[in-house]
Amino acid sequence: MGMKATLFGIGFLLVCLASAAAGDVRLNLWPMPKSVSHGIQTLRLSNDFVLRTEGSKYADASGILKEGFSRLLDIIEVGHAIENSTNLNHLPLLKGLHVVISSPSDELQYGVDESYKLSVPTNGNPIYAHLETQTVYGALHGLQTFSQLCHFNFKSRVIEVFPAPCTIDDQPRFSYRGLLIDTSRHYQPLPMIKKVIDAMAYTKLNVLHWHIVDSQSFPLEIPSYPKLWNGAYSTSERYTMDDAAEIVRYAQRRGVNVLAEIDVPGHALSWGKGYPSLWPSPDCQEPLDVSNEFTFRVIDGILSDFKKTFNFRFVHLGGDEVDTGCWVITPHVKKWLIKHRMNESDAYKYFVLRAQHIALSHGFEIVNWEETFNNFGKQLNPKTVVHNWLGGGVAQKVVLAGLRCIVSNQDKWYLDHLDATWQGFYMNEPLTNITNPNEQKLVIGGEVCMWGERVDASDLEQTIWPRAAAAAERLWTPYDKLAKNPKQVIGRLSHFRCLLTQRGVAAAPLAGLGRAVPEEPGSCYKQ
Amino acid sequence: MGMKAGFFWLGFLLACILASTSADETLNLWPMPVSVNHGLQTHCLRKNFALKTEGSKYADGSGILKDGFSRLLDVIDVSRAADKLTNFNNFPMLLGLHVIISSSSDELQYGVDESYKLSVPGNGNPNYAQLEAQTVYGALHGLQTFSQLCHLNLETRIIEVRPTPCTIEDQPRFSYRGLLIDTSRHYLPLRTIKSVIDAMAYSKLNVLHWHIVDSQSFPLEIPSFPKLWNGAYSASERYTMVDAAEIVRYAQRRGINVLAEFDVPGHAMSWGKGYPSLWPSPNCSEPLDVSNEFTFQVINGILSDFKRVFKFRFVHLGGDEVKTDCWVTTPRVGRWLSKKGMNKSDAYKYFVLQVQKIALSHGYEVINWEETFNNFGKQLSPKTVVQNWLDNSVPEKVVAAGLRCIISNQDKWYLDHMDQSWRDFYTNEPLSNITDPTQKKLVIGGEVCMWGEYVDGSDIQQTIWPRAAAAAERLWTSYDKLAKDPEQVIGRLAHFRCLLNQRGIAAAPLLGYGRAVPTEPGSCYKQ
Repeated sequence: MGMKATLFGIGFLLVCLASAAAGDVRLNLWPMPKSVSHGIQTLRLSNDFVLRTEGSKYADASGILKEGFSRLLDIIEVGHAIENSTNLNHLPLLKGLHVVISSPSDELQYGVDESYKLSVPTNGNPIYAHLETQTVYGALHGLQTFSQLCHFNFKSRVIEVFPAPCTIDDQPRFSYRGLLIDTSRHYQPLPMIKKVIDAMAYTKLNVLHWHIVDSQSFPLEIPSYPKLWNGAYSTSERYTMDDAAEIVRYAQRRGVNVLAEIDVPGHALSWGKGYPSLWPSPDCQEPLDVSNEFTFRVIDGILSDFKKTFNFRFVHLGGDEVDTGCWVITPHVKKWLIKHRMNESDAYKYFVLRAQHIALSHGFEIVNWEETFNNFGKQLNPKTVVHNWLGGGVAQKVVLAGLRCIVSNQDKWYLDHLDATWQGFYMNEPLTNITNPNEQKLVIGGEVCMWGERVDASDLEQTIWPRAAAAAERLWTPYDKLAKNPKQVIGRLSHFRCLLTQRGVAAAPLAGLGRAVPEEPGSCYKQ
Repeated sequence: MGMKAGFFWLGFLLACILASTSADETLNLWPMPVSVNHGLQTHCLRKNFALKTEGSKYADGSGILKDGFSRLLDVIDVSRAADKLTNFNNFPMLLGLHVIISSSSDELQYGVDESYKLSVPGNGNPNYAQLEAQTVYGALHGLQTFSQLCHLNLETRIIEVRPTPCTIEDQPRFSYRGLLIDTSRHYLPLRTIKSVIDAMAYSKLNVLHWHIVDSQSFPLEIPSFPKLWNGAYSASERYTMVDAAEIVRYAQRRGINVLAEFDVPGHAMSWGKGYPSLWPSPNCSEPLDVSNEFTFQVINGILSDFKRVFKFRFVHLGGDEVKTDCWVTTPRVGRWLSKKGMNKSDAYKYFVLQVQKIALSHGYEVINWEETFNNFGKQLSPKTVVQNWLDNSVPEKVVAAGLRCIISNQDKWYLDHMDQSWRDFYTNEPLSNITDPTQKKLVIGGEVCMWGEYVDGSDIQQTIWPRAAAAAERLWTSYDKLAKDPEQVIGRLAHFRCLLNQRGIAAAPLLGYGRAVPTEPGSCYKQ
């Protein structure tokens, strides 16, 4: 190492110390990476910024990296015309990005390595940024972070990269970072679902929990039982299984898994539109008829169809809010209960465990809502992940029982609660009161829930964003780098919400409650 | 003509009679064309549905038609259709669309011929739909109408075209069908503006009135006076002149002209951020200093820069809500007034007429808000178009004075007024109380106004749509085909709003007022 490099190294260290000591207001990254060291120089992005992959073991036959890189260029320009480098611009030129991925596989599965190391040097001829990762999905996260270092300068008409030099080491705190959408209460057109996935990628969320069907409508085609989608609101408010496969493919190419849900036996009235024998009776239509073998054949058919399209490790079987009243007052079901010596709660348990058994036979691991745990936790299959929603305190009990848990406590992480503020989303800590390291590991992550009663295509995005992004930092960033007071991140989050709007995502202002509209004229960065 | 064809025509006639006598639920076209004759058959679209242009005089060197056709394939969901048509499909197949345009020009100017004739034949071999138009812009409207005849059947995966056979002759009632957006109160990202333009094309609106600058911020680059955009909210809430040119280009390729506005002298405080001498004084910063020649030099510079980018025949010079107090209370301006022997109103008139002269010298015709007419209508240039907004009795006075008029009465057509429902937008008649045919012609159209105080990238779409679409039918469809009672169109408009959703536009439910959210679970078509 020559003299110059050493001197540079010292200068670099000094700068790092300075920026670590002072509150660094100019580092507008969201979610905040695990570790960032940086100087204070600015580079200029080459007009023909290139992707290099020499030395990478990942061949990119499916084009996931190439497409991700092309989306990167698109989102850093956000529609502005970049002008040919003018003479008055003296910034050093960043020629390209060199991506080195060590795993050849592009399988996206739960727990896939999402870490990356991004460095932007200020020397070299030409200068290249470097991105090293285990998997292509880690690389996609690195591209998102890189996009946030890029800023279009309106005076010089070039894209500047700031701050440089810069080294970012990053990996998620939790491996499950979810967002629920609900296509039963209101149908969501395919372009809307894709836009939600785009924004999830920007925020490094990685599971789209698709609550496909509920009491109100059954929009998805099930080839094994083709009358099920007779329960759709209309002939056009439907998804074919090809559409579902396209959603899965689209999400996967952005590093997002799709968790499909059927919510049985409680939230399933719409199933009986096509197959009325799934109802206890035409007058008492919910929950699904526990006494009818056909019910379980249909569940088996659905899960067998799911397995061909939804290749995530988990399937969600619901199990919440089961009002068993219909089972007791419908004579043929009542007779069956007596014959099998079951009371209502026994039958609820029987139903859930049998559905679990079917899912396991198809090779899925299972997620169930917390009532199943609260009522018969000890009988749940050990492969169950319990999805908390009702309140605090459940996660502790779940992990104490040795089961895995996803945190979605409704008081903080339900997006349909418009009085739940972004501050509440930011501060909700999944590991509250869980101190044992082994138990902590059983909390695989958290999820924010966008229930669909009052959202359709017209208000979905602004109800989700930016509040879901606030939770995304809680789920991504190491605990000790999270702000203890949400006021500390307001500038950075508002910067990110403006970035979302520039990218075409209708993210609402921070001022006010959920889905707030701007209260008066003003800058995006201050609202 | 053989026997078979004879039978066919007989059937066609019968079908037409049926269709015109019964309420025609299958004809969900928005806005409703001038004339539609149709049968009750269904065709199916070949997967590789093709564009044919033999016999067309328009060479499409700029690709406007080709791009429009490719967008058509996109919005009718060709990618979701089955690759091979299944056997149980007995519908006659449409191989493509034959477009014949008689004008070779692609100049988009005020008053360009927008008519088209679209026909889908009953049988025939090979079977092509035919679209005849004077200009490529008429053809683009025809493509929009054709897209609304196409329905993806999710059971068969076939794109069905119905009703057929069908002949549609169409042309707009008014040549100016505008939508105002305001990028001063809130900056609107480029992608958001483009998405608004997309939806304007779907509803056959043809003028994007861009209220670029106002008191709150000055987002646009003006090369002649480069400090003007110092008045932007922030370094990134800006448009370069290249961005503006891109908006103009994007709109023009969709048949939409861009009307640029700066609003002088009243709504211009932000101008002085870069050039404080434009203010009467730092403490009294509005209206622009009438006594300073520099004010008019700046206006001249802006209009000279505008002329290179904004090719529309008109420029909008504002002129509303001028509070002249600062002119009187600022000693320097007060002295100037005395010297010139002007009172406040004289100075207001002087300012507006000076600016009109400058705009005319650059080859623009001018549009001013109605206060200019109300105060000194007789002195306005005869090339002035007066934009009504305050008073419903103004249009009749404007046309009686021989000037042209655009209708935007705030009690019905202001999109920022949340208490105005789509019914108000639909029933607002621009020619109320104007009976003289010559005077009627002076009403060149109307415009709905999306003032930006409470809208940004997060809520603009659902505030605009579907209410602007309701006005779009008023402005497009011939008077005698308009519903007298808006309840008659509710199903058709709901269908169109769901279509907008499917195309990725966040159009709000019809139930409720502006920007309503769905009140409960349900089908898009019923909300």
